[in-house]
Amino acid sequence: MWQQLRRRFGGPLAVAIVSLMGIWLIAMVLLPQWQMIDYSFHPSLLPAERGGVKDVWTLANYATFFDNDIHLAIFFKTIWSSVLVTALTLLVSYPLAYYLAKVATPGQAALCLLLLIIPFWINEILRTFAWYIIFAFRGPLNELLLALGWIDRPIRFLNGDTGVLVGMVYAYILFMVFPLYNAIESLDTNQIRAARDLGAGWGRTHRRIVIPHAKPGIATGCIMTFMLAAGSYAVPALLGSPGSRWFTQIIYNWFFEGGDWNQGAAYAFLLLVLCIAFVSIIMRVFKVGLGDIAK
Amino acid sequence: MSSSRFFSWALKAYLLVFFVYLFLPLVIMAAATFNESRFPTITPWTGTTLQWFSALWADGGMWNSLINSLMVAVGVLCLALPIGIASALFLTTVDGRGKSFIYALILSPLLTPGVIIGISTLIFWRGWGLNGGIALTVIAQSAFIAAYVMLMVTARLQRFDRTLEQAALDLGASQWQVFQRVLLPYLKPAILSAAVLAFLQSLENYNTTLFVAGYDTTLTIYIASKVRTGLTPAVNALALLMILFTVGLAMIYEFKRRREAARRLG
Amino acid sequence: MDGRVSLSQVAMRFGDFTAIQPTSLEIESGEFFSFLGPSGCGKTTLLNMISGFLTPSEGSVAIGGTDMTRVPVNRRPTAMIFQNLALFPLMSVYQNIEFGLEVRGIDRQKRRRRADELLELVALGGSGDKPVAELSGGQKQRIAIARALAVEPRVLLLDEPLSALDLKLRQHMRTELKAIQRKTGITFIYITHDQGEALTMSDRVAVMSEGRIQQVADPMTLYRHPQTDFVANFVGENNRFPGRVMAIEGDEVTLDAGLSAPLRGHSMTPLEPGDSATLYIRPEQWRLGAADDRCLPLAGVIQTEHFEGAWLTLEVELNQGPMIRAQVPQMAAGADTQVPLRVGSACRLGYSSRQAVVLAGAVHEPTSEEVVDVAATA
Repeated sequence: MWQQLRRRFGGPLAVAIVSLMGIWLIAMVLLPQWQMIDYSFHPSLLPAERGGVKDVWTLANYATFFDNDIHLAIFFKTIWSSVLVTALTLLVSYPLAYYLAKVATPGQAALCLLLLIIPFWINEILRTFAWYIIFAFRGPLNELLLALGWIDRPIRFLNGDTGVLVGMVYAYILFMVFPLYNAIESLDTNQIRAARDLGAGWGRTHRRIVIPHAKPGIATGCIMTFMLAAGSYAVPALLGSPGSRWFTQIIYNWFFEGGDWNQGAAYAFLLLVLCIAFVSIIMRVFKVGLGDIAK
Repeated sequence: MSSSRFFSWALKAYLLVFFVYLFLPLVIMAAATFNESRFPTITPWTGTTLQWFSALWADGGMWNSLINSLMVAVGVLCLALPIGIASALFLTTVDGRGKSFIYALILSPLLTPGVIIGISTLIFWRGWGLNGGIALTVIAQSAFIAAYVMLMVTARLQRFDRTLEQAALDLGASQWQVFQRVLLPYLKPAILSAAVLAFLQSLENYNTTLFVAGYDTTLTIYIASKVRTGLTPAVNALALLMILFTVGLAMIYEFKRRREAARRLG
Repeated sequence: MDGRVSLSQVAMRFGDFTAIQPTSLEIESGEFFSFLGPSGCGKTTLLNMISGFLTPSEGSVAIGGTDMTRVPVNRRPTAMIFQNLALFPLMSVYQNIEFGLEVRGIDRQKRRRRADELLELVALGGSGDKPVAELSGGQKQRIAIARALAVEPRVLLLDEPLSALDLKLRQHMRTELKAIQRKTGITFIYITHDQGEALTMSDRVAVMSEGRIQQVADPMTLYRHPQTDFVANFVGENNRFPGRVMAIEGDEVTLDAGLSAPLRGHSMTPLEPGDSATLYIRPEQWRLGAADDRCLPLAGVIQTEHFEGAWLTLEVELNQGPMIRAQVPQMAAGADTQVPLRVGSACRLGYSSRQAVVLAGAVHEPTSEEVVDVAATA
């Protein structure tokens, strides 16, 4: 590898390339993760006690988690809600991605893509804040429903999980649409025509032709959306209530309210393991590799 | 035929609903800026005003956090761009055993939740005496933004014709001259797009920044804290300005793209 | 300016695969030299060793008497015209031509003067400010030549540079390239799989196959006196008659090929009666006569007939023998021979034994390159 680099770029540049990558992968990715995991297996100590007799390898931080019914419940609720968000986002994005890739003219598709991107250049907090206004107790949604006579008194949307789910689907939709769009776009349109021509209905055409072809895109979209949802802090913090806390909020509390970083590191590692597990399951189920994901 | 037509109509209706879903929240948020109500809403409309813009203008905390955000974004550009470009060059040059492992490692920050990147960075650098603040935020954000840069630069590099490098070498250029005169100019558009993306990603990041910003509040953290305490339509005024800024950027981008396309056809 | 290129025992191996067998070759200064061979024969590998993109596994490369084996590509006195030309797409014509001078630190004015001279040489004066994307295929070709000549190479290497052009332009560029080579006096080393290109432009041609040089000769010798079966079949077209040597008189060999009459030809290599050998007769060497013309030794029946303008190509099945291809001039076919050259009619065939080549060894398998551009070699 080094030889190939040196032949193409010459010594100094090759050294620069390898060092930059090395600094990134070692000092910014691997070692910090390692340190975090290491932290999670040690007790929280005062600076003076570090390296002393109390500084031992322990599973206590994980025991805390498994002994805490509330935290366990929140962990599983985070998984379940993130799966739900992922499924909803997929459902909402698929028709749009199909339209962009196969129905729209190139001009229409370019315009739609631009329209899609605009909300996502505005930051996640503001996107979520917009829904905060809509869902407010005396906000436009309640006023509308009251005016239509569908409800008698305002609903507290911001109290349950509804607001969080809607806000998350909204916040992460682009991460689903783009991989789907890329995957469907690469499908030869004649295959759809041929299926239709052979008498397949729309449902069957999608089930047998489009969806199998779009599998890598679906996998990528699901992985990204799940990861973003499970790791989201802004949306549940803004649209949720104390009763509908997210696992990330517990982690945050350990760090900045409980002041127990080791405990927080253990919780963070659990979240990481969850995401890795989800990624592996999806990659196994859809039979795709890392190379497909990065497209 | 009739089923085809039905699906076509259903799709159109769906698109309409979708884009309303996409934009109505932004419109409502923007509209609330002009409502006199102390709480940001459009119901009830208590009177039209521009006072929230001046309230925003007078908000020192906002200006401070904006400056912090810009400093972080510039720092991220300085760190993530070279790293991302170097990794793209590495991945498109080498092959052999170990490459797929390195590739997985490079992609891993994209598949790791932002909070974890923030937390691990915070823990690691505390050991080196570096606590939360602008510097740490730059490091944490660059850890995953570099991967985006890498992907964008790689996409263009894969279409590069390596014989151009051979030709330049053959004409007597040194490897450095080849890089600087042939490869970099070719990569310039991708690097520019990657820079814009990295800048925006940095500005809008919340999850990672939350853990590493320390007392150097960035704009997103400031907004989030405002939403929870002391929410006034001044936040909407800020949102509106950011939307206009974004739409402006998008329009410039689209305009350039069209001109480029027209030139290629012409 | 000494543009001699000497290869001594160069070989190239990629793992277990040997791309170039140990090869020695001297190319004279100022020569137009071609490597001709089918794709995969190793000619590009050889070129890359001369240009410096590849370092040979064994042996050495010298240019102008100086050993260049370990000299990197950017310090060799060679310049290359790439198959896809590899013009820098983001630069103007001037910037392309001046690139090699610029990286050598030559000042702006000198560079521009040289670029203008070269643009004149390739007949594109005044187009220096154009972006290269706006040039036509032929113009790009000329700019690529000008760019390579700008660095005043001792040796110009051309890697199938005409393959992307259409037929008319390709033929025109052959003349042009030859003229530029004469004007500049630089050694040209040309790589091609198109024998027409190699034969029309070159002073000498090396025919290559499977990593080995089969024969080095001037085009005429190559065509008239092929030294291996591969050359006999790859350069031009040949009818092949494997058999056994019956008698030898000087360099004239009589061969029993199992036909109704023995065949005669000449051989450059010593043969003994009883050796197996192969005799080659080119399609245009056949003389056709009427079925009762006893002066002609072989008899056959015309099976197919193709009209090709100047030539008439016939396939004739020899009595108790193989099918052969013959080409007769269109004019002669009508007037002189008075043979009714119609499909199905019997005829007799003869040839001049001075023109038929005999090589040692009997080759029975079909020719490796059945498809050859006959018109181009004629």
